[in-house]
Amino acid sequence: MPADRIPSKESAPDDRSSFMDSARRTTEVEPILTVHPKPGVAKPNPILTMDGLRRSFGGLTAVDIDHLEIERGIVTALIGPNGAGKTTLFNLITGFDRADRGRWEFNGQMVTSPSPDRLARRGMVRTFQLTKSLAKLSVLQNMLLGAPHQIGEQLWAAPFRPLWRNQEQANTERADELLEQFNLAHMRDELAGTLSGGQRKLLEMARALMSDPALVMLDEPMAGVNPALAQSLLGHITELALSGVTVVYIEHDMDVVSGISDWVVVLAQGQVIAEGGPWKVIHDEVVIDAYLGRRRAGTSS
Amino acid sequence: MRRGKILLGLALGLLMALAVPALAQDGADHGQTQLNGTIRFGFDQFFEGVTITVADSSGAEVGQAATDADGRWSVPVPGPGAYRVSIDTGTLPEGIGLREGQESVVDAVVDAGQSRAVVFAVGEAPKGTPFGERAAQTVFNGFKFGLIIAMSAIGLSLIYGTTGLVNFAHGELVTFGAVIAWYFNSSWGELNLIVAAVLTVIVCGMLGAGLESGLFRPLRARRLGIFQLVVITIGLSLLGRQLVQLFFGAEPLPYRDFQVQERWEFGPWAVTPREVATIAVIIAALVAVGLMLQKTRFGKATRAVADNADLAAVSGINVNRVVLIVWVMGAALAGLGGVFQGLDADIDPFLGFQLLLLIFAGVELGGLGTAYGALAGSLIIGMSTEVSTLWISPELKFVVPLAALILVLLLRPQGLFGVKARVG
Amino acid sequence: MDFDIIFGNAARAAFGPEAIILALAAIGLNIHFGFTGLLNFGQVGFIMLGAYGTSVAVATFGWSLWVGIPIGLFLALALAVALGIPTLRLHAVMFAIVTIAAAEIIRILIGSTDAIGLTGGPLSVSFDAGAFFDLNPYADGPQDRYGVGTFAFTGQQMWVITVGWLLVALVSFGVFLIIRSPWGRVLKSIREDQDAARSLGKNVFSYKMQALMIGGVIGGMAGVIDAIKTSGADPNGFRPQVTFYTYTALLLGGTATYLGPVLGAILFWFLREWIESFLRQLAAEAWLPGAIADFLEGSEGIISVGMVGLALVLLMLFRPQGITGNRIEMQLDAR
Repeated sequence: MPADRIPSKESAPDDRSSFMDSARRTTEVEPILTVHPKPGVAKPNPILTMDGLRRSFGGLTAVDIDHLEIERGIVTALIGPNGAGKTTLFNLITGFDRADRGRWEFNGQMVTSPSPDRLARRGMVRTFQLTKSLAKLSVLQNMLLGAPHQIGEQLWAAPFRPLWRNQEQANTERADELLEQFNLAHMRDELAGTLSGGQRKLLEMARALMSDPALVMLDEPMAGVNPALAQSLLGHITELALSGVTVVYIEHDMDVVSGISDWVVVLAQGQVIAEGGPWKVIHDEVVIDAYLGRRRAGTSS
Repeated sequence: MRRGKILLGLALGLLMALAVPALAQDGADHGQTQLNGTIRFGFDQFFEGVTITVADSSGAEVGQAATDADGRWSVPVPGPGAYRVSIDTGTLPEGIGLREGQESVVDAVVDAGQSRAVVFAVGEAPKGTPFGERAAQTVFNGFKFGLIIAMSAIGLSLIYGTTGLVNFAHGELVTFGAVIAWYFNSSWGELNLIVAAVLTVIVCGMLGAGLESGLFRPLRARRLGIFQLVVITIGLSLLGRQLVQLFFGAEPLPYRDFQVQERWEFGPWAVTPREVATIAVIIAALVAVGLMLQKTRFGKATRAVADNADLAAVSGINVNRVVLIVWVMGAALAGLGGVFQGLDADIDPFLGFQLLLLIFAGVELGGLGTAYGALAGSLIIGMSTEVSTLWISPELKFVVPLAALILVLLLRPQGLFGVKARVG
Repeated sequence: MDFDIIFGNAARAAFGPEAIILALAAIGLNIHFGFTGLLNFGQVGFIMLGAYGTSVAVATFGWSLWVGIPIGLFLALALAVALGIPTLRLHAVMFAIVTIAAAEIIRILIGSTDAIGLTGGPLSVSFDAGAFFDLNPYADGPQDRYGVGTFAFTGQQMWVITVGWLLVALVSFGVFLIIRSPWGRVLKSIREDQDAARSLGKNVFSYKMQALMIGGVIGGMAGVIDAIKTSGADPNGFRPQVTFYTYTALLLGGTATYLGPVLGAILFWFLREWIESFLRQLAAEAWLPGAIADFLEGSEGIISVGMVGLALVLLMLFRPQGITGNRIEMQLDAR
């Protein structure tokens, strides 16, 4: 799959008219769809705004985004072919990697020194492509780790149980609720390492919700999950959005995206080549080229 | 050439001085707890009237003596324990002083009834060798030491690269090389050291093959965790070191050959032929390994395995065979490194372990898993060790590279040439 | 061959001051490695500073032992901070090597002739631990022995042992309290996957630092006991293998368990002394061929340390979870 087959951003403006059509037709459905669907467009109520974000590894530019906004309270899908820079973008925004340059704003505040834990405490939690369930801790302990502001996590209070017992109890109740919701209640006291791959994805997602986050970033939540479980995962994502949480998720497969996304951002070679409503983006020629170019190359080799 | 002769004499003198403890102990009157020694230079110069002072550990003077016509002195001490012995260099004849790097105060521990010899290596006083010349010499020594580290590091680095194993017993492979060569050279058949070194390389290669096929390959098949493997290598390291202590003993011993050599002069450098040979052999070995990794099929296979062992296996590379060759090569080079190190600093059971920390430091400084980084890191470690002796006491010289390592990692956690890994 | 003597010796080592020192060192290491996953290979550095801090304060500066002990512990704490700042962000293997290096740096500096005025350098340092032994409630005449056969201690030893094991119990209980708390849970999450802990809002560096400091101070306590027991400190007693012995004890007993390090330390000294005593008795046996007896003579210590190495290998091969650990947890570890 030669990377040069993927069309670059220069060809995008030719397709602008079709984006405008789509926007007009769906005006009544969602306020987000009144937005002019072009790369880097401004949105009514963004939770995350990126500017001039750039990261390169050696000679390879993994992420190069002029401007991108993520709308609050909806489900945004981040799609793109392999090596498009999706995970790198996640890593930059969540503080797991350092950008060469650029800045971004989260929840109306500039992110000055991005550190993963600080961003998480501000309400931006993420999951990982390769799940990071904590194998030698029980499922319940995994959940409790997700709870924020725990008094018992401070060393001075740790030895004195009465100081944190009540909070621990409340967190346990919340954890049990979520486990019930994610069909993991029966595994509550098992070690997380004994869960199946799909169950780990569920656990990771449920654990992320323990902190009542404002923004949840899911890195390929459906990867390696059996179809039945994938359906339930999709259901959870939709429910999340309904409860007011903003969701951004990475997906490799365009077909999965259309069902649950309100907005789709397409990345190729680190750049935003298209964004808009799912139906329109999927039929965008630039996007199709980006994908099919890759697929054609893949089958011919 | 005059200087060459003096250096030859110096080396001989030192050799004689090293032999003194054995002589002194044998001839001593048992029951008398004392410190003694001989102040001499070469075979024929003994210095009379040199003042030696002995103090106990609290600093109180225990006794004083002056050397007799044969340069001998002895000071009885009240009992077993640690004493500080100092030589009054002012009482040495004009133009004679302590050899470079020698301290005028030496600490010695005596057991009850023991006669403990204390060596002050004297020679032509270092008439303030110009700083530039000393600097040039330490840079040379550091370069040579760095090369020894680098050669010993190849195996460690390649084994880590291909199997993810951090081998804490790698230092014992180095020790083993030094010791085996010593046995070949001094005990079994009294072979010439060059022949002994060749045999040692073969034995060490076989040892590497045995370790891989007999131990580490089955362990990989059992999918033991990284940490368990590290602990196993630590266990092997302890075991190996104790075995060397058991059979070889704890006393440092030199090889029979190439100890005393006339120095060649190149500009500011005075080097012995054996040092030149050491450097030439190591550079040849490093170039050979580099070419092999870059050019040959085996080299490509090695790099493929290091990159992704599973993928390499799927593409038809015999991973176990690659790893076996890496082990054989790594162990053989480590053994050869041990021979050179032993040639430089005598052989003792801790030779390899002491080097291991510096090997690790070199590999880390360059960046874990980068071949050229490891070479550069090793050279930096070797140089900083030796060059530091220009300013600080030689007994502290190992502090410098280790401290440098910590400082570099503070600024660049991935090492000088390493690349940061991606998360997720 | 007198097995009563062998067992008596082994038991004395298993409950004597050496086992206490090893137990404390292993409890500290358990916090680092067992609970937090920090591959600290320089635990001996903390022990050394505990021992030297105490010794130097009393011997060189002439301060009271009760001032010296906190100084020793404070130095161990300071080492944790100084070591942690540059190294806690490193890859586990790099952390291991840097911690070994740091402990070696300290040992070389303390043992150098330039440091004679302060630490005694290569001559070692000794002080009067009278302040501690003045409180000794055990009768300490030259004839007083507590125990049976060779499993017996002097009054002074009894006092060290009593205080030492009480300290071990106290520290173990403290560790239990903090590890079962949400704080301990965060440590374990860092051990399992520090990026996961970060993504859940935990300040990984800060927790690692806290763990390093607590485990380091407990290592410092081991050093303090060592200093009091020997009334001094010797740089040669703090070589890297001390850390390896500590790992052996910890792995023998079971990592990430509350009693593992203590049981491991007891077992370590019991076995090591048993082997050494056994070999010493064996060497004296008349039926043994002279060559073998000569070979054994004086080598008992070397062989028993070699056995420690062999034990480490066998332990990892056949019971990696130690005597108290959980097999299932170990299997999850094979990643």
